[in-house]
Amino acid sequence: MSSLFNDYQPESFFDEVFSQTRKARTHYGAMLDSVGSLTPSEYSARQKAVDAAFLRQGVTFTVYGDDQGTERIFPFDLMPRIIPQREWETVEAGLIQRITALNLFLNDVYHGQKIINDKAVPAELVLSASHYRPEFRGIKVPHGIYIHICGTDLVRDGKGDYYVLEDNGRCPSGASYMLENRNAMKRAFPGLLQSLPVRPVDAYGSMLRETLAHLAPDSVLDPVIVVLTPGIYNSAYFEHCYLAKQMGVPIVEGRDLIIRNDRVFMRTTKGLEQVHVIYRRIDDDFLDPQVFRKDSLLGVPGIINAYRKGNVALANSIGTGVADDKAVYALVPKMIKYYLDQDPILPNVPTHLGVEPKECEYILDNLDKLVVKAVNESGGYGMLMGPHASKKERAEFGERIKKNPRNYIAQPVLQLSRHPVFVDDHFEGRHIDLRPYVLCGDRVRVVPGGLTRVALKKGSLVVNSSQGGGSKDTWVLWDDPLDTPAETSPAA
Amino acid sequence: MLSRVADSIYWMARYVERAENLSRLLLSTQDLLLDAGAEGVDEAQFWQPLLATTGDEDAYFGLHKKVKGKDVTDFLALRSDNPNSMLNSIRAARENARTVRDQISDEIWESLNSLRLFVESAEGKAMHRTQSAAFYERVLRGSYEFQGVADSTTPRGEIWYFLRVGTCLERADKVSRLLDTCSGLSLEMPPSPKARPLRWAALLRSCSAWHAFQTKCSKQDPAKIIEYLLLDETFPRSIAYCVAEAEGALQALCAGAGIQGMPPLLRHVGRLRADLAYTTVEEVLAIGLHEYIDALQTRLNQIGEAIFQTFVLHADLTLPAEEPVPEVVSIPGAYHAHADEDAQIQQQQQQQ
Repeated sequence: MSSLFNDYQPESFFDEVFSQTRKARTHYGAMLDSVGSLTPSEYSARQKAVDAAFLRQGVTFTVYGDDQGTERIFPFDLMPRIIPQREWETVEAGLIQRITALNLFLNDVYHGQKIINDKAVPAELVLSASHYRPEFRGIKVPHGIYIHICGTDLVRDGKGDYYVLEDNGRCPSGASYMLENRNAMKRAFPGLLQSLPVRPVDAYGSMLRETLAHLAPDSVLDPVIVVLTPGIYNSAYFEHCYLAKQMGVPIVEGRDLIIRNDRVFMRTTKGLEQVHVIYRRIDDDFLDPQVFRKDSLLGVPGIINAYRKGNVALANSIGTGVADDKAVYALVPKMIKYYLDQDPILPNVPTHLGVEPKECEYILDNLDKLVVKAVNESGGYGMLMGPHASKKERAEFGERIKKNPRNYIAQPVLQLSRHPVFVDDHFEGRHIDLRPYVLCGDRVRVVPGGLTRVALKKGSLVVNSSQGGGSKDTWVLWDDPLDTPAETSPAA
Repeated sequence: MLSRVADSIYWMARYVERAENLSRLLLSTQDLLLDAGAEGVDEAQFWQPLLATTGDEDAYFGLHKKVKGKDVTDFLALRSDNPNSMLNSIRAARENARTVRDQISDEIWESLNSLRLFVESAEGKAMHRTQSAAFYERVLRGSYEFQGVADSTTPRGEIWYFLRVGTCLERADKVSRLLDTCSGLSLEMPPSPKARPLRWAALLRSCSAWHAFQTKCSKQDPAKIIEYLLLDETFPRSIAYCVAEAEGALQALCAGAGIQGMPPLLRHVGRLRADLAYTTVEEVLAIGLHEYIDALQTRLNQIGEAIFQTFVLHADLTLPAEEPVPEVVSIPGAYHAHADEDAQIQQQQQQQ
């Protein structure tokens, strides 16, 4: 093997590419031969070409708090993460099981609440979730599906076992980067992609469109679907636009829509045109100033009435945030048992609930060993990394937990798996996670791939783009290389 | 097409054309000054008309006391606090392109995005400082590239017609302002040592008309120059030509939208086209060039407003409501220099 990986150290972590003894895992063999044969400057040149193309094409996100409207590319590391087929089969089955249970749970919570009445989950915990919307109980949604697009965050621990970290059943972002990362790889390493049985991800746009079309009333033969964006200042605007283009549907802002007779129309140069399905990337709270936040400038007055009457479908449905509550997340294994009578294929990270007095006591006693998270925050905000925090920070966080225990959960610090990442002129290990995308329409489909997020800062366990994270392309293989032993030995 | 998209495409084209005209104006003024330099003239008298052309005199004098070449060029080219600067025009063109990225070709988007990256870059700013002519030429090329890829990648449908209308109306407006800067000059061409006769040649150059005019008229007679830029039916930057082009595009848009009869929009543009076709330069000069241009600009603005009425506001009236209509939060429209801060903050607050 070449010099690029000669000094690479997996250290004491689970490394996606190398075993503890620095043996390359079989499914990475072909790639190491190809990437490893480059000199640092050749590799670096390819990386720079990709970065420049992203900038020119505007594959960027807006940096907040900067009135110049600065746009940055989402840092991208060229070396792809590879997932062998057998591993992926388990991940896929686990994700399908999970979203099936979550949708049954949401439909139940917004209708009969059998799971609560049967005391399979504690009523107060579910009903106190701040994104639970009791006013939508009894409102029928098309086919009883609440979460149509899900971006589940998965991590692997020190042994390489997969865990579900978060479900993200509201407006998960990042699918466009999954698609653009693959396009970049096609240009940077065309030969390698050709020689490996990598499953394509480019059907995502058409799959998404089918998923959304499934929500339209049966009487509408050719439903009008739109993507509703907050606008160009949202950091994910590129993604909204990209997905609209992939699906071939208009991208609209709230001000492009108008309600007449409880139906949703868009303002066009030829007059008003009815809209049947909205893939909305606006939070519940901002959707309708007549129902939710009165000061919303992004929403459409009257849209909720149209939704209640079944005249327009929203993806994802309103109220899915109850399942995103990190305390409710802890109940998902129970949901899987209750609705499907199965054991979870993908386990949760062990979670201590602040709302349970005994567990709260445990959390407060072990702040230096735990990750504490506010139940409704995301993007790496509102959390305490116990072992890395100062005494003062821990004490402050402890006070917050005591004041509002329902608002916090705690988990052991997982030693997330690592992957080689190119730094200056060599590779170093960085922690990663995986966000695959699950679509729930007439059936549940998982895109074979996803966004591998990388904590670019050395030693950091936080992969969110808002906290200095980057990404990698994710290659799921059609079949696994069988003709080689489980691990190949690197040349000396 | 969404009304907002139509408005954004129209303004995208206008802003590109605005930046192009400004580049050429700065370039031709610099050249003029080089020619006139030896004659020992006051620099300010060359730069002052530029501020008048762009209508930004108040904003300029808010920043500077005197008219100096360097201040004026900075103000018109790169100042981000001048809403009409080249920089802000290119930014606005590119922001509008960004809002309609799913509608326009990747080539159009990348041409504007690259142009914007250039003018914002340290390299672009340094180039403006040390070799401004090269900078203006780069912006001109960016505009030509935009027009070229727009022409060769846009289907001849709504998007194309809104692009054409935006380009033609902006061009007509800018050429009329350039003409107006010469309205105070004598129509005689004295063989004076003063720089004034050069102004007429510079006017032609700032409209890319010097060569075309030379081949048509051998003598640089001011009345002939006015006639050419105002009334010529074949030169693509003359006002008559631009208005006729805009009329054609607007007719196609109205027909496509199923608008019956003769809407106010087509009446305004048709009447102006006819006036320009049947007016003589002698009639214009009898009225007074400045007065004529004043009236012309009012009529161009009227057409712009009628476009907004017809394709953006009109939509709401096409379906009568059976019940009270919820209050309208805001009317969809294109991006201009200043964004609504509250909306901006809310857009950023959305959960990812």
